Amino acid sequence: MDRRELVFMDSTSNKFWRIELNGDSHTVTFGRAGTDGQSKTKTFADADAAKKDYDKLISAKLKKGYVDADSASAATGEDADALPVLAFRSILKEDDVGHNAKTFIGKRIADYDPNKKPTAGGKTVYRFRSDWDSQDCVPNLKHFLETDAAREAVGIVIGNWTGDDTGTDPSEVIELLCQNSKRLAALKAIYLGDIISEECEMSWIQQSDIGPLLKAFPNLELLRTRGGENLKIGHLKHDNLRGLICESGGLRAEVVRQIGRSKFPALEHLELWLGTDEYGGDSSVEDLQPILSGDLFPQLKYLGLRNCDFVDDIAAVIVNSPLIQRIETLDLSLGVLTDEGGRALLSLPTDGTLQHVNLHFNYMTNDVIKELKKLPLKMDLSKPSHMDQDDEWRFVAVGE
Amino acid sequence: MKTLSPEEARQHLLAEEKAAICVEGSIDLRQTKLSSIACRLQCNDLDLSGTPIESLPKSLKVRSRLTLDNCTSLQRLPKGLTCGSLSLRGCVFIDRLPEQLSTWFLNASGCPRLSSWPKEATIRNGNVNLRNCVEIRELPGWLGPLGQLDLGGCVNLHALPEGLQVSGWIDIGGSGIQSLPKSLANSPLRWRSVPITHQIAFEPDKITAKQVLDERNAELRRVMIERMGYLKFANDVEAKELDRDTDAGGQRQLLKIDIDEDEPLVGLVCNCPSTNRQYFLRVPPQMQTCHQAAAWMAGFDDPKRYRPVIET
Repeated sequence: MDRRELVFMDSTSNKFWRIELNGDSHTVTFGRAGTDGQSKTKTFADADAAKKDYDKLISAKLKKGYVDADSASAATGEDADALPVLAFRSILKEDDVGHNAKTFIGKRIADYDPNKKPTAGGKTVYRFRSDWDSQDCVPNLKHFLETDAAREAVGIVIGNWTGDDTGTDPSEVIELLCQNSKRLAALKAIYLGDIISEECEMSWIQQSDIGPLLKAFPNLELLRTRGGENLKIGHLKHDNLRGLICESGGLRAEVVRQIGRSKFPALEHLELWLGTDEYGGDSSVEDLQPILSGDLFPQLKYLGLRNCDFVDDIAAVIVNSPLIQRIETLDLSLGVLTDEGGRALLSLPTDGTLQHVNLHFNYMTNDVIKELKKLPLKMDLSKPSHMDQDDEWRFVAVGE
Repeated sequence: MKTLSPEEARQHLLAEEKAAICVEGSIDLRQTKLSSIACRLQCNDLDLSGTPIESLPKSLKVRSRLTLDNCTSLQRLPKGLTCGSLSLRGCVFIDRLPEQLSTWFLNASGCPRLSSWPKEATIRNGNVNLRNCVEIRELPGWLGPLGQLDLGGCVNLHALPEGLQVSGWIDIGGSGIQSLPKSLANSPLRWRSVPITHQIAFEPDKITAKQVLDERNAELRRVMIERMGYLKFANDVEAKELDRDTDAGGQRQLLKIDIDEDEPLVGLVCNCPSTNRQYFLRVPPQMQTCHQAAAWMAGFDDPKRYRPVIET
């Protein structure tokens, strides 16, 4: 009997999908992680037909971003508590930019309610945010920090910290978290900026120096931020950081260069939304050279250079880089990838560790997409159905 | 070795201090009067653009970006120079790159004297920009693989080494290149930044006027006309004659071609009395007479004031 178990995680879900082939039938079981899920059995004319459908379904799931449950990126280590690198995924599809996160590091997110007792055991990740008519973010966080649940919190999500005043940066929140680092003893993951355009456009979000978080939380494994304006990483050394995500409409070259001289030896997931120069993204492919040289992050499994208007330039350089020889996932999605970049990607290595390539939201023509499909890699070449295919105006996914 | 902040390092270098220093970060010395680096220096990025720097010490270590744009007094780079990206735009005095240079990216655009390559060096993985390096006559066999290669305006470069690999585009606009080695047979091409087909690049005789007029992209249309020749294009589309007269070279014509969604193409067709060759010279579309067009080219807005004694 053939059997395959796949898992999927991103900002909105954490689910599994299992298929068992049994002669002329197969059984699919799927559902939210941690549940039994539901099963469906389908019978075919003969075993060959069943096998063919079995392979087809698996291939379709892999293209959607599912990975094998026993693969390195889904592995939870010997103590089942460790976060798999898959859990560091931010968003997969362009549509997800418009929704607040529903899960973080594979756990359900709930908005913190000071009138309810928070769940113990770190199973729920709490989000702290202000609304246009209520400045609850900091008071709620202070309230939470006094509870026993804070000691068990594995992840924290900070939503809109500003209410209706878009000019405020999160330095007060950062300071509060840092002052309470002893209390937040189990904290492994912070998402600073779960803010959607309805609350504040990504390019209006005022960020600040996130270095103090790296300094105050030596056991932090994932730091995810949204917003490029005034973002700074003032502390560039961390022995345990496994994931760093900077989402933005435009990331300053200096931030890219800071990462290029950082010492994060445990880093497995690096995701930079480089954006466009209209929103402060003044970096270029030269600034990525220290990262692409492969000397910097020996453990890197996932590299995302997303929402980038010069992704064609990156494609041309990355295929020759030493780094591409040893990562598992390359993510160049949400940017202005055209046929020039697509043709360069035809020389991606197919005999190494690289398995997944995410090119969702691209401007390539069918000719080049067809060529790319022939590569023995799991590629997401999808485009959102509403995507404007005008060949004169091309924009990154998030650039307002 | 003392570790300094980028700003301290800047002051240290400007004061020509001798003590060796190490910097985590980018040192910005653009447009300063710095003419030499007096100490041993290690840093991530160094920008010396627009300085009167003449040479760099062999001990200099720049891990990532070394930017020397418009350093017009710079003549030599140190042997064994190693960095992630080297930018030498507009370094008009530089005539050679150092032996055992090692970098991913090289931008030497606008280095008119640059002519000789080191026997041994490593330039690979990144992009090479040699735009308007008119003295470049060949590329070295050790070059590449590269991301992108810009050879626009390399008029004296006629061939590329067999086996050269470029994964992105190659820009050959206005260069002497008339064919590509096998290893680049499928490379995307550009003509001074405009993506073009191999036919436009290497078989300009086969471009038809209809093909030009059917092309919706205005930039590409202009490149196609440039490649097939304005004169041939004007003949093929049977351009409308606006005016005709005679000058020192013989008969001249002012021709007009209407193009959809673009301004009309108006040009003066004339014979040069010195070279005896015929030229099509594009002029503003509102020109009405040959004399007015010739006057405009000479810088006269009022054609009445243009009365040349002799035209050669």
